[in-house]
Amino acid sequence: MKKFENVCVIDDDHIFIYGIKRLMKEVNFGDDILVYDNGKDAINGLRLNSEAGKKLPSIIFLDLNMPIMNGWDFLDDFCKISESELDNTVVYIISSSVDPRDLVRIKNYSIVKNYILKPVTANDLAAIQKEEVA
Amino acid sequence: METLLTSSFIKDYPASVVIVNSEMQIIDHSKLWLKELENLNGSPIGLPIYDVINYTSKEFSKRCEECLVGGEQVKFIQELNQPKLNTKWLEWTISPWTENPEKINGLIIVKDDITETKKREELLLKSKSIARIGGWEVDLLANTVYWTQVTKEIHEVPENYVPNLEEGINFYKEGTDRDKISILVSDAINKGLPWDTELRIITAKGKELWVRAKGEVEIVDDKCVRIYGTFQDIDEKKRIELKYNEVADRLAMATKAAQIGIWEYNVVDNILVWDDNMYELYGLNKKNFSGVVEAWEASVHPDDIAPSQELLQRALNGEAEFDPEFRVLWPNGEIRHIKAIAFTHRDNNGNALKMIGTNWDITKNKNAEKKLKNLLEITSEQNNSLMNFAHIVSHNLRSHSSNLSMLTGFLDQEGDNNEKERLIKMLCEASESLDETVQNLTEVVQVKIDTLDKMRPVNLYETIIGVEKNLAVLLKEKNTVCEIEVGKKLQINAIPAYMDSILLNLFTNSIKYSSPKRSLALKITAEQKDDHTLVTFSDNGQGIDLKRHGNAIFGMYKTFHKHKDAKGIGLFITKNQIESMNGKIEVDSQVNKGTNFRLFFEAINV
Repeated sequence: MKKFENVCVIDDDHIFIYGIKRLMKEVNFGDDILVYDNGKDAINGLRLNSEAGKKLPSIIFLDLNMPIMNGWDFLDDFCKISESELDNTVVYIISSSVDPRDLVRIKNYSIVKNYILKPVTANDLAAIQKEEVA
Repeated sequence: METLLTSSFIKDYPASVVIVNSEMQIIDHSKLWLKELENLNGSPIGLPIYDVINYTSKEFSKRCEECLVGGEQVKFIQELNQPKLNTKWLEWTISPWTENPEKINGLIIVKDDITETKKREELLLKSKSIARIGGWEVDLLANTVYWTQVTKEIHEVPENYVPNLEEGINFYKEGTDRDKISILVSDAINKGLPWDTELRIITAKGKELWVRAKGEVEIVDDKCVRIYGTFQDIDEKKRIELKYNEVADRLAMATKAAQIGIWEYNVVDNILVWDDNMYELYGLNKKNFSGVVEAWEASVHPDDIAPSQELLQRALNGEAEFDPEFRVLWPNGEIRHIKAIAFTHRDNNGNALKMIGTNWDITKNKNAEKKLKNLLEITSEQNNSLMNFAHIVSHNLRSHSSNLSMLTGFLDQEGDNNEKERLIKMLCEASESLDETVQNLTEVVQVKIDTLDKMRPVNLYETIIGVEKNLAVLLKEKNTVCEIEVGKKLQINAIPAYMDSILLNLFTNSIKYSSPKRSLALKITAEQKDDHTLVTFSDNGQGIDLKRHGNAIFGMYKTFHKHKDAKGIGLFITKNQIESMNGKIEVDSQVNKGTNFRLFFEAINV
């Protein structure tokens, strides 16, 4: 089973963060789990890392509804980072929103692989691991 | 015995006269008579008349005999057909002359060439026949009636029919027609009044026919001795006329009921003619109207004149149909929407001669259209807002409930007590959050439901002071300076609870987002305008980047600052509360300078 190198979770709900971290531990998802609780902090943090020479996370779990900067704005900014660097990154949207407009909107972002509806289960994570075997 | 005087008298008589004796020998004659003779050498005196003239007929000699014997003047007309010449008409007047009363000595024969007259008579008859105009005559003294052939034809009676006055009148249709002609005839006979009328007759064959009867009178010694006139078949023409009138009346009624005006524009002379309905459509008095295109343009709304004129030109040039819509200003200031359609008559070269068109009022339609559009906009907006609301709420409910299920799942499996405690704490948090979400939901729904009958006059100044007192401690902490420029008597039409809530929210926001670099300064003003009251609430806090966030500031659960108390719902509720009171809220702000809220409240009906 693949283990992801750098995992990033961007969500403002700390209970959810606790939950997903625990789940990831259970399925041995990845080593480094980077957490940001809003889009602004995430973009700033990631940019800093990139400038410092660190690799960008290979998988990002992104929530849509966050204060200060939401998921959409994050995506817009994140995609401005050079294409070559983004090659190894894949984004999964995690949200409790069932708004069909959101589902349509994610199609505009090629970096977004899929949309997962909360609550996230261990099975969801397992499926992702299988998916990303490469 | 002849005398010299008599002789010259006859000679110079201005007619063709010949005098014969009882043997029909010429005794004397006029110069004119002689002139008309051909092939004569010498004087005809003494010769028998038959030797001299060659165009006498059997009738001529018969009449002469008659006169010689009977002693009565005789008149007759002879038609003379001469080979290679036109037909001549001669009127002979043969009178006897006597020297002594017992014996007739001879005849005076006068010949009158009436060819011209006859020709004219014939022409008249022919034209009357073609025009189906018959003649008629009533001799009141002899009590005889005469009808021409055409008159008989019109009445569909045989050629040998002998008319009389009473029967003639009875040909007219029973009822108004017959009554009318009876009156006209008696007026003519008794008062000498001529007539000219159009009435119906029933012919001998039972056909109903419209005729034009004209009558003239001949008065002798103050008495009417003769009435005569013409009789014309106008049936076809009359029926067409009646049909046309019927159609025209129907059209007038229809256009009046439908309030359609009809106009005609003479392009060549630039003359515009309107029917009565047009004046009504434009709210104008017919008397004040000059009938020129300029007057129309003066009624049209200034913004609509140019496009309408342009369309007129294009229509005249044949490039477009003339079917504009424009607004018309009534003299009393009302505005009406008018629709026009026109059709252009052209000459053989395609130049416009005349435009005939209609106008009708589409104001009701236009207003209904506007209203519909408005309603659609509002409904669409409300729909959107409802959808947003539903999605946002379901998202939040889902977040917390999914957390709860996740936590309980872990709790179930967890062995470690410390970890268990941690989980339980988070469980409490999650359930509290869920509870809060439901509360918010209720609050928002409540605002949307509350109706306007809970509105009443609220004293703004007192409300502000009240809220200030509530927040005294927090305000003091920030060393707040609060400037209130609100009339102490100023009242706003509002729901008191909402006013409290709105002001509380604005105050707490200003406190929450005050700048750490300076002490908080607040300013509240109120201005009463014509149809609303404007309240401004300004602070010198951190400000908001409106370029970035725009109207999301009033959105539900939208937060832009990293503040632990920032729930993102305060302004959403405030906006809903103001709007439910028929007001609105606007904001402008500069980052690091401060924020201004503008609140518009409905004007109070004093």
